Amino acid sequence: MLMISPRMASGMQEKQYTPSLLSFFIYNPTFGPREGEEEKKILFYHPSDVEKNEKIRNVGLCEAIVQFTRTFCPTKPAKSLHTQKNRQFFFEPEDNFWIVMVVRNPMVEKPNKDGKPPTIEYQEDEILDTVYGAVVRQCYSMYKLFNGTFGRAMEAGGVDLLTQKLEKFFYRYLQTLHLQSCDLLDVFGGISFFPLDKMTYLKIQSFVNRVEESLSLIKYTAFLYNDQLIWSGLEQDDMRILYKYLTTSLFPRHSEPELAGRDSPLRPEVAGNLLHYGRFLTGPTNLKDPEAKFRFPKIFVSAEDGYEELHLIVYKAMSAAACFMISASVELTRDFCEQLDALVGPQLTLLASDICEQFTINRRISGPEKEPQFKFIYFNHMNLAEKSTIHMRKTASVCLTSVHPDLMKILGDINCDFARVDEDEEIIVKAMTDYWVVGKKSDQRELYVILNQKNANLIEVNEEVKRLCATQFNNIFFLD
Amino acid sequence: MSEEHYLELSENPVQFEHASSVNNVFFDEANKQVFAVRSGGATGVVVKGPDDKSSVAFRMDDKGEVKCIKFSIGNKILAVQRTSKSVDFINFIPDYPHTEFTQECKTKNASVLGFCWTNWNEIVFITDQGIEFYQVFPDKRSLKLLKSQSINVNWYQYCPETAVILLSTTVQGNVLQPFTFRNGTMSKMSKFEIELPVVPKPAKLSLSERDIAMATIYGQLYVMYLKHHSRTANSPSAEVVLYHLPREGTCKKSHVLKLNTTGKFALNVVDNLVVVHHQSSQTSLIFDIKLKDPDCAVNTHQPVLPARSIHPYRIPLSGPAVVPSQPPVPCQLSSKSHIKQVSIWTKTAQISKLLYADAVWSGWFPGYLWYLQVKLPPTVNLLQDKGKLMDFLLRRRDCKMVILSVCSQILDGGDKGSLPVVATVFDKLNQVYKEYLEAEQTYTAAMESGASRGSAAQKRPIRTQAVIDQSDMYTHVLSAFTERKGVSHKFTIAVLMEYIRSLNQFQITVQHYLYELVIKTLVAHNLFYMLHQFLQYHVLSDSKPLACLLLSLESTYPPAHQLSLDMLKRLSTANDEIVEVLLSKQQVLGALRFIRSVGGHDNVSARKFLDAALQTGDQMLFYTVFRSFQQRNQRLRGSPAFNPGEHCEEHVVHFKQLFGEQALMKPSTV
Amino acid sequence: MDVEGQRPMVSWENSTLAPVDRLRCERADSPTPGLVEGTEPGAVHQSAMFVHTQSFEDLTAEAEEAQREAELDQTDECTQELKALVVGEKTIEEQHNNSDISSESRAKEEDVSSEAWRSHRKHVFVLSEAGKPIYTRYGTEEALSSTMGVMMALVSFVEAEKNIIRSIQADGCKVVFLTKSPLVLVGVSRTCQSDKELLRELQYIYYQIVSLLTLTQLNHIFQHKQNYDLRRLLAGSEYLTDNLLLRLDRDPGLLLSAVTCLPLASSARDVVSSSLQTAKAKNLVFSILLAGDRLVTLVRKKDQYLHHIDLHLVFNLVGSSSSFREGEGWTPICLPKFNTAGFFHAHISYLEPASELCLILVSTDREDFFNMSDCKQRFVERLSKRSAYQAMKEALKCPSYSVEQVGIPELRHFLYKSKSSGLYTSPEFPHLYQSDEEQERLMGLYQDLHSHLHHPTRPLRSFYRCSQTENLLAWVTSGFELYLCFSPLGTKALAVSAVNKLLKWIRKEEDRLFILSPLTY
Repeated sequence: MLMISPRMASGMQEKQYTPSLLSFFIYNPTFGPREGEEEKKILFYHPSDVEKNEKIRNVGLCEAIVQFTRTFCPTKPAKSLHTQKNRQFFFEPEDNFWIVMVVRNPMVEKPNKDGKPPTIEYQEDEILDTVYGAVVRQCYSMYKLFNGTFGRAMEAGGVDLLTQKLEKFFYRYLQTLHLQSCDLLDVFGGISFFPLDKMTYLKIQSFVNRVEESLSLIKYTAFLYNDQLIWSGLEQDDMRILYKYLTTSLFPRHSEPELAGRDSPLRPEVAGNLLHYGRFLTGPTNLKDPEAKFRFPKIFVSAEDGYEELHLIVYKAMSAAACFMISASVELTRDFCEQLDALVGPQLTLLASDICEQFTINRRISGPEKEPQFKFIYFNHMNLAEKSTIHMRKTASVCLTSVHPDLMKILGDINCDFARVDEDEEIIVKAMTDYWVVGKKSDQRELYVILNQKNANLIEVNEEVKRLCATQFNNIFFLD
Repeated sequence: MSEEHYLELSENPVQFEHASSVNNVFFDEANKQVFAVRSGGATGVVVKGPDDKSSVAFRMDDKGEVKCIKFSIGNKILAVQRTSKSVDFINFIPDYPHTEFTQECKTKNASVLGFCWTNWNEIVFITDQGIEFYQVFPDKRSLKLLKSQSINVNWYQYCPETAVILLSTTVQGNVLQPFTFRNGTMSKMSKFEIELPVVPKPAKLSLSERDIAMATIYGQLYVMYLKHHSRTANSPSAEVVLYHLPREGTCKKSHVLKLNTTGKFALNVVDNLVVVHHQSSQTSLIFDIKLKDPDCAVNTHQPVLPARSIHPYRIPLSGPAVVPSQPPVPCQLSSKSHIKQVSIWTKTAQISKLLYADAVWSGWFPGYLWYLQVKLPPTVNLLQDKGKLMDFLLRRRDCKMVILSVCSQILDGGDKGSLPVVATVFDKLNQVYKEYLEAEQTYTAAMESGASRGSAAQKRPIRTQAVIDQSDMYTHVLSAFTERKGVSHKFTIAVLMEYIRSLNQFQITVQHYLYELVIKTLVAHNLFYMLHQFLQYHVLSDSKPLACLLLSLESTYPPAHQLSLDMLKRLSTANDEIVEVLLSKQQVLGALRFIRSVGGHDNVSARKFLDAALQTGDQMLFYTVFRSFQQRNQRLRGSPAFNPGEHCEEHVVHFKQLFGEQALMKPSTV
Repeated sequence: MDVEGQRPMVSWENSTLAPVDRLRCERADSPTPGLVEGTEPGAVHQSAMFVHTQSFEDLTAEAEEAQREAELDQTDECTQELKALVVGEKTIEEQHNNSDISSESRAKEEDVSSEAWRSHRKHVFVLSEAGKPIYTRYGTEEALSSTMGVMMALVSFVEAEKNIIRSIQADGCKVVFLTKSPLVLVGVSRTCQSDKELLRELQYIYYQIVSLLTLTQLNHIFQHKQNYDLRRLLAGSEYLTDNLLLRLDRDPGLLLSAVTCLPLASSARDVVSSSLQTAKAKNLVFSILLAGDRLVTLVRKKDQYLHHIDLHLVFNLVGSSSSFREGEGWTPICLPKFNTAGFFHAHISYLEPASELCLILVSTDREDFFNMSDCKQRFVERLSKRSAYQAMKEALKCPSYSVEQVGIPELRHFLYKSKSSGLYTSPEFPHLYQSDEEQERLMGLYQDLHSHLHHPTRPLRSFYRCSQTENLLAWVTSGFELYLCFSPLGTKALAVSAVNKLLKWIRKEEDRLFILSPLTY
C-alpha cells in the first residue's frame, strides 16, 4: 500500500510507505517438540510461499522471545517485539496456541543521486502496540465467531481439520485487514448505538417480542438501523464481534440496493398489506425461485455450557436490519423462510419508516449540524457504546478519518496512559501543530476531543470541552 | 353449566301477600312500591318498597274496587283511582287534614286511563282524550289545573326518572307523542311514528302497549319497540328497535337488536344492557348498544353472548314462606296468567311492562319480587374475543375484579393469549385510564383557575370501576405473574414491556414500582445486558428509588453503579446523593471535584470529607483534602484555621502527627 | 511540521563542541513562550559552560565516529593510559573497600530464580558481544551467564535478519536492548517509563563504563580477545554503576540533562569563580566546585566545553565514595562526551574535612598531581581571605529552598530548566514526598511528562494531567522546560496563573539560583 507522503523533501521527492502486513502465523509449540519436527508446530502461515526453514526460524524466534520473557514475568506473556524494521504481536488465545502478526514499520524511501540505491528510513515510533494488539485479538474473535475455538476443531477433526479451517478462514480474512487505517476505534472495538426516542424503541421491543413469540425457533434477535445497533438479545461480547462483522463486512456488501429506499419515509397504504421492502441478506436471495439452494452462515456464541452454534439470519428492510439466530441443530426450510418473510417483511418495513420519520424529526429539532470547532471520540467500556465525529462511515475497505494521523496517534498515546491505572484521569496536551487534544476518563468512560483553536489557552480549552459535554453528554455522569 | 348463567335474581326479593279475590296487588314504578290492598283497603293496605324500612301499612275506607294506587314522591300524598272519572287523595303529611278529597277529570265524558306523579305535589291524569296536569294543595285539600292537552290516547307509558309520558295516538296507535314534565311545566316533545311491519287494512289499533317500553341507557332515553316477525314482511325473526328520544330535537330510530328467533319476549335494561327474555326457550339474551361488531351493519347488534337461562333461584326459607321448603326453581316464563301487575324490576329500576303484562314465574307462587342482575364472571368464558370482552366489561358497573381476573387469565399458562392480544387488552384498559386522568387533570386545572375566577361550575369526574390503574395491575396481576413459575422469562418480560409500552403510548407516566418489577425480573434471570440497554434508551425513566435499586445491584452487576450515577445526574436534584455514592466508593477527590463543578464547594461539611479521607487510610489523600479545606477557610474567612463549629479538631491533630506542624497552611497576609 | 516541531529532535551535531553564539536580547521580566533562547530566566550572559543541549536525544547521537579516527594514532598513548588506569583502578579499589560495602553485598547474593529477584523494579545487564556477563544490578553475573547468553542470542538472531532488536513488551514489564559495540546493554523494567527513557539510562551506564576504560581501550580489548571477561578490569567499580542507577531514579538533573546550583548571592559566587579563575595551570581544563550534588561554580579553559553527562559522571564518581575526604584524590577519568579515546586526570579534594565543598580540578596531564594540588592551595588561600567564603558556608546550611517561598498553596513541587545554560532549579521535596518511594514516584511522573513532551515523532508543546494523586503541568518552549506538580484539587485556571507567577519568581531569584556569568581561564 503506497501513498505519497504529505511532507515532501525539498528537491527530490521521497516515498512514504504505510505500515503493512509482513506475515501472520499460528503455531502450537507442543505439536512438534522434537528436533526436526518443528514444522509440525506451524498450523497456518501467511504468506504461504515463504520457504519452510524461514517459517521455522521465525516461529523459533517467537518461542524464544516468549520463553525469555517468562524468566522475568512468568505470569504475563510477551505481547510484542519491537525491532528497527517491524513489530511482531503475540497473542495466546487458547493454551499453547499462538497467533503472531508481523507488521512492517512505515518507512520513507529517500532517493539518492547518481544511481545509488535509495536509502530507507524506518519510522519506528509510528505504530501503536495497543492498536495492532487489538487487531490480532479481533482476528481470533472473528475466527471464533464462525468456527468456534481452536480446541473445538481439534476435538472434531484433529490438526488436519484445524489447519483446513484456519486456511479457509484466514486466507480470505487477512485480505480484508487494512493495517494502515487501524486506529483507536480498533482498540475499543465498540458498538455505535442508534439514538432513538423511548416510544419508537418500545415499538421495536414489542416487534422483536412478537416475532420471537410467533416464530418460537428464534433464540436471539438483534435489531439495527443505519448500521447502528438498537437492540441485542445476544450477550455483549458476542454482539461486539457480530456487530463488527455486520458493519464492516456484510452490510457494505449489500449496501447499494436499498440506498434507494433509505431515509425516504413511506408507509404501505393499508397496515398489514403485503407490499414490503424486506429481503434476506443471508440465506435465500430469491424466495420466488423454489429451485435456488440457500444456506445461512453459522456462528458460535457463548452459552452457559461453553458455546452454542446458531444459524445467522439477517433480514433487512430499507435501513432497518433484524438478525435472527436459531439453533444450528434445526433444519431451516424454504417455507420457514417464506413464513418469516411474510411475518417480518411488512412489520419491519413499517418500523423502518417510523424510525426514519422519528429520526428526521429529531434532527429537525436539534437543528442543522454546523461544523463544530471540535471533533471527538467517545467510548464506554460498560456497554461498549462508541461515538466518533472523527471517522466518516467506517466501511469494509477503509475507515476515513478527518484529522491528521499524528493527532490520531496522540489519542492513542493518551489512551495508553489511561490504560495504566483504572482511576479517573484527564489529560490535555498541545501538539506542535498547535492543535489541542483532550482526553477524559471518568469511571468506565473515555472521551477524546481534538480542538482546532490554536490560540486558545488551557482554561478556554477546558471551557470548550465542558460545553461539549453539556451538549453531547448531558445525560451521563462525567466527573469534571 | 351453572357458571354459564350470566343473569341472576337478587339475593333478597321483596315479599308480599299474593293476589287473591280479597287482595289486590299493585306496583308503582316511580317509587318501586308494591301495594297489597285487602278488601278495598278496609282490612288494610301494605306498601313494600325495595328495602324493608320503606314499607308502610295503613287502612282506608272501602269505597269500591281500587283501579290504581300510588304515593307521590316521598310518600307525601296517596292517590287512589276507583272510578274512571275521578281520583281520590289522602294526605300522609303529619298534622295535615287526613280526610280524603277527590278530583274529577276536567274533560267532559272522558275516562281516566291512569295517573302518574311527576313530583311530590304534581300529578298527571291520562284520559282517553288527553292529559291534565295538576298541582295538589294538601292543606287546602284541593287541586289546581296547571295545564292540559286534548289528544286521542289509546294507551300511555311513563318513565319516572326522565318524567316523560308517552302517549299512543292515531287509530293504529303507532304515532307516539311524548310529553316531559319539570317543576310545574309540561312541554310537548316532537311526536314520532313507529314503523309497523304490516299496515293493517282497515286501519285498527296495531301497536300494542306491551310492545313498547321506555328506558334510559347510557344516560339517554330510548323507546324500545319489540318488532315481532311477520311472514308477510320479510323479517325472519323478531328484533328490538330502539328510538332515541332526545330532550330537544326529533326522535330517531337508532339501534336494531337482532333476536334471531321468534316467540314471546320480555325486556329489561340492566347495567345499560338490554336484556331480552325469550319465553319458549326460557333463555335470555343481552345486548350492548355501544358494542359495535364490525360484521354487522351500523347500529345493528347481535347478542353479546349466546342465549342462557337465568341462574336458578332458591327461595329463602326464612320469611313468610308459604310452603316450608322449596327446591331451587328454574326461572322460566310461562303464559299462564295468575295475576295482573307483578313484575321483575331491575337495579336500573326500569320496569318492563312487556314482561309483567302477562308473565309470572311458574312453579313459583306469587308474592316475591326480584331484582334482575348481570353476573360478569361467566361472560369471560363465553366471550372469546378478548378485545370485545374488554369493551363489554369496561362498561359494566362491578367490572374491576373481573377485568383483573381476565388479565391474569390471558397471562396464565393455560389459555394464555398471544402478545398482540395482551397488547390490545392493555391498550383498552389504558384508554379508559387515560380518559379518567385527563378528566381529573382538567378538573383540577379548572378548580385552580376557577378558585381565582370564582367559577366552580365543574363537578369532579367520578372514578368508575372501569378505571384500572397501575397499582391495580401491579398488585392484582403483574407482581403475581412475574413470580409465577414455569413461565418463560422471555414472555414475562415481553408482557411487562407491552404494558409499559401501552402506558407510554397513552402518555401515562409510569410508576417506578413497575420499573422495579422489570429490573427484578431481569436480574432474576441474569439478563443484565438487556437491563443495560433498557436504561440506555431511558425506557425505565429516572427516579431516585430506581437509582437506589440500581446501586443495590452493584455487587452482582458492577455497571449498575455507573447507571445509577447517570440517573442521579439526570435527576439534577440529587447532588447530595451523588456525593454520598462517591464517598461510599472512597472517591473523596471525585466527590470534591463534583461538588466544585456544581458550585457547592463552599458550603459542604469539611468534617464529612475529612472523615472519608481518613477512612481511606491514604495519607496523601488526607493531606490533599485537609489543605484544600484550609484554603477554603482562607478564602472565606481570611484564615486557614477551622471553626470550632466544624468539629475538625481531631483531624487537625492527625494532620500534625502525619506531616508536622509546619505542613499546616500559614495564614497568608496578602 | 514547523521549526518548533523540529527543535527537540535536533541531535547535537547542530550544537557541537564549538560555542553556539546566541542572540543577545533584552531579558524580559516575565518570560513568554515566544521568548528567544538565551533570554529565559537562568540563561547565561556569556557563552554557556556546558556543551549546550536541547534534550536527551544527544545521548543517542553517535559521538563515537568523531573519535574513531583519533584512535589509531592514540593507541600507544592508550597503552600508557592502561598502566595509568591500573594505578587509578587501585585507588578506586581502595576507595570502594572503605566505601560502604552494603550496596555491594545486598545486591549480589540473590537467588536469580526467586520471585524477589524477578520483581525488582529495574534490572540492568551489561554483556559483551560474545555474551559474557559484565554487569548485573541484582544477583551475580555468574548465576546469570545463561540468561545473558539468551539475550545475546536474541540480539544476534535479529541482527542476522539485517534488523535490530529494540525491545520486548509484556504487561507491566518491558525489556530494552541497547547494542553499543563491543557492549550490549539490556534493561528490564517494571516501571511505566518509555523505551526512550530506559535507553537513556542504559546510555548513562554505557558512558559510565567508558569513563573507566575509554572506548578505545574497550575496542582494543575485545579486538584482541573476543570473549574477554571484562569484569576483571571493572572489578570493584560496580558500585559506581549501582549509584549511577540510583541517581537516575532520584536526580532530576540526569533527566533534564542539566545540573543545579547551590543557591548563592551572585556577588559571592562571582568572587568564588574569579578565585578559581586565578588558580589556573597549564594543563588545567576544568575547575569544578561542588556542594554535594550542587554546582557552586565551574571555570573552564576557553573553547573547552564540559558535557552535562560528563559532569554527572564526575558527580557520580565524587558522590559515590567517601575516600576523597581523607585527602587529595588523583584519579584518571575519561569524559566520554568530551573524548571517548583518552583519559583526563582529576584532582579531587574537599576544602575542609567536614565540609560539603568539593573541588575537582581536571587536567590533561597524568603527572600533574602536584600542580593541581598547588592550584587548590592558591584557590583556598585566596578565597579564605574573602567574605564570600563565609557567605558560601552560610549558603551551605540551606542548600535548597522550600516551594512555599513561591507563594502558591496548591503548588507542591516543580522543575525549571534554562535550556541555554543547561542549568535547572527545583525546590526541596515537600513533606508529602519525603520517603524514597514517594520521591521516586514523583520522579517517575516527571520522567513520564518528559518523555511525552520529547516524543521522538510526536513532541508536544504542553502536557497537563489531572489524576488522583497530583495535577501535573509540563511546558516546553525554545527557552526553557517547566514541570509543575499541583495538588489534585488544583484547577486548570490555577495552573495557568501559577506558571506566570512562578516564572516571575524565578526571574526575580535567578541570580541566586543560577550561574549567570561563568568564567574561563
